[in-house]
Amino acid sequence: MSRNKFVLQVALAVFLVLIAALAGQLRKVQREWRSAVRIMPGSPEPYVVFDPNQVDETRENGAPEVLVKFRPGVSANTINEITARLNDRVEDEIESVPGLAAVDDLDNVEAESIAAEYRALPEVEYAEPSYEISLSHDGGGFKHLHPNDARFSEQWALANDGQNGGKPGADVAALRAWATTTGDDDIIVAVLDSGVDYNHSDLQHNIWVRDENVKQYEDSELGSIEDVHGYNAVDNTGDPMDENGHGTHCAGIVGAEGGNEIGISGVNWKVKIMPLKFMNASGFGTSKSAIEAINYVIDRKRAGVNVRIISASWGTKLRSRALEDVIRKAYEEGILFVAASGNDSLSTDLLPQYPASYNLGNLISVAALNRQDELASFSNYGVKSVHIAAPGANILSTWLGNEYEEHSGTSMATPMVSDIAALVLSKRPTLSVEELRSILLNSVDKLPSLNGKVATGGRINAAKAVGAE
Amino acid sequence: MAMSKEEAIEKARLDVARRLDIGESDIKTLSVKDAEFPDMALGAPVSDDMSGQMITPGWRITLEADGQTFEYRANRHQLRLWNYKGGNYLI
Repeated sequence: MSRNKFVLQVALAVFLVLIAALAGQLRKVQREWRSAVRIMPGSPEPYVVFDPNQVDETRENGAPEVLVKFRPGVSANTINEITARLNDRVEDEIESVPGLAAVDDLDNVEAESIAAEYRALPEVEYAEPSYEISLSHDGGGFKHLHPNDARFSEQWALANDGQNGGKPGADVAALRAWATTTGDDDIIVAVLDSGVDYNHSDLQHNIWVRDENVKQYEDSELGSIEDVHGYNAVDNTGDPMDENGHGTHCAGIVGAEGGNEIGISGVNWKVKIMPLKFMNASGFGTSKSAIEAINYVIDRKRAGVNVRIISASWGTKLRSRALEDVIRKAYEEGILFVAASGNDSLSTDLLPQYPASYNLGNLISVAALNRQDELASFSNYGVKSVHIAAPGANILSTWLGNEYEEHSGTSMATPMVSDIAALVLSKRPTLSVEELRSILLNSVDKLPSLNGKVATGGRINAAKAVGAE
Repeated sequence: MAMSKEEAIEKARLDVARRLDIGESDIKTLSVKDAEFPDMALGAPVSDDMSGQMITPGWRITLEADGQTFEYRANRHQLRLWNYKGGNYLI
């Protein structure tokens, strides 16, 4: 071989190596770009996340790309033959759904193309790209998860980036919490209020429906009540439809469906809201009706319904022993009771507000913060009687008529704590009510504005509560 | 049924007339101001009212008759007489 020919061949080899390396980089870039934009058509949870800087870690680790449901009768051998023919492999069989398999692509082909290949096969009932929750990282190195809900940017309480004059970071750290959990619809939160518009499009999928295995509610005086979604203690019926809006607003804070592209997201993307109506169209009710509604919750818990939290965005200055007794009964059933401290700009250490001021082991009294991390001007406080603070000023949430409205009050701060309690339970469902309460009260960001104002001296932090940081 | 500000004022004046057994022409409207109340009982709970703890917009209506001042609180849903002889009243 001549010297010139040898040099030429070496140059060619180097060139080919460079081309190969470049192609590899291009594929990596392509993978990363694809991972940054994921929409799963037809999925009940079509989250969209767009972040070209993020890396799809799970895909790098060879996670399944396509979920394929084979028709009944298609044998395991046939499935293996099909996947081998397409140069794929069955990564996992989903035992709870016969015929459903997670298929790993070995060719690094676009997931939607693979799904289309499978859908064209007569043996396949359906195939879809594996839905993937994408994560990014904040400046502190914590993972984030963003929902695609249309008005999420207005939800300063969940992610405060300084919008409308707010203080960046003055929020409950929902994005970081969501990297760990977005909720669980096995957890039920009773919203004890003016009822809930259970037909609201941002709530309807997260409304509790009585399982057919749970018998109808039986009241010794009223007889059998068909409690499909909850209970109405104003009219003693099984229809807790909201006529005021307050309860619907609170319910949206607890669990407006996350990642559905419309409206807002609750702190729980998935949860079950049990609507209870004891306040009328004007937004007030009686202690008797409140007691009847709590009694209903206790009955349902005893019937096997996994209701773990009662959210109570209401109150009065009058102390009712009977109301205290029924909340104590709820405690004995392992139900957390979260209550509004009130809006009189007063210390409840001096002028108590009930039920928030009852000294019970399952009770959390909540003050309200504004978007600057200051105690809201209207909020009650009390280093002995108010436990924790949460965002409660200018909170956007669901309203009657498929609408959304911004409202303020310790009414809005209360469900913010209730929903974080549910988020904690989604990860740790066996916690006792004492353990749950302790976790919430020990998961605060201490704030100078709350020093001497609330017992914990802090704002609740969802990420800390779920162990995300 | 939703109540307008004008309807709330008229209803308040009729209430004063009834309480004092006087004619409506003897009642003076001192002021009608937009207001934000601390709760859904308009900061004027009656007996064991349990009310939503949401800041509630409405109107503060101040009337005068027979040497007495009356503060009514209203919104589209309700009218209340605040702190009259030591109590609140849902009208």
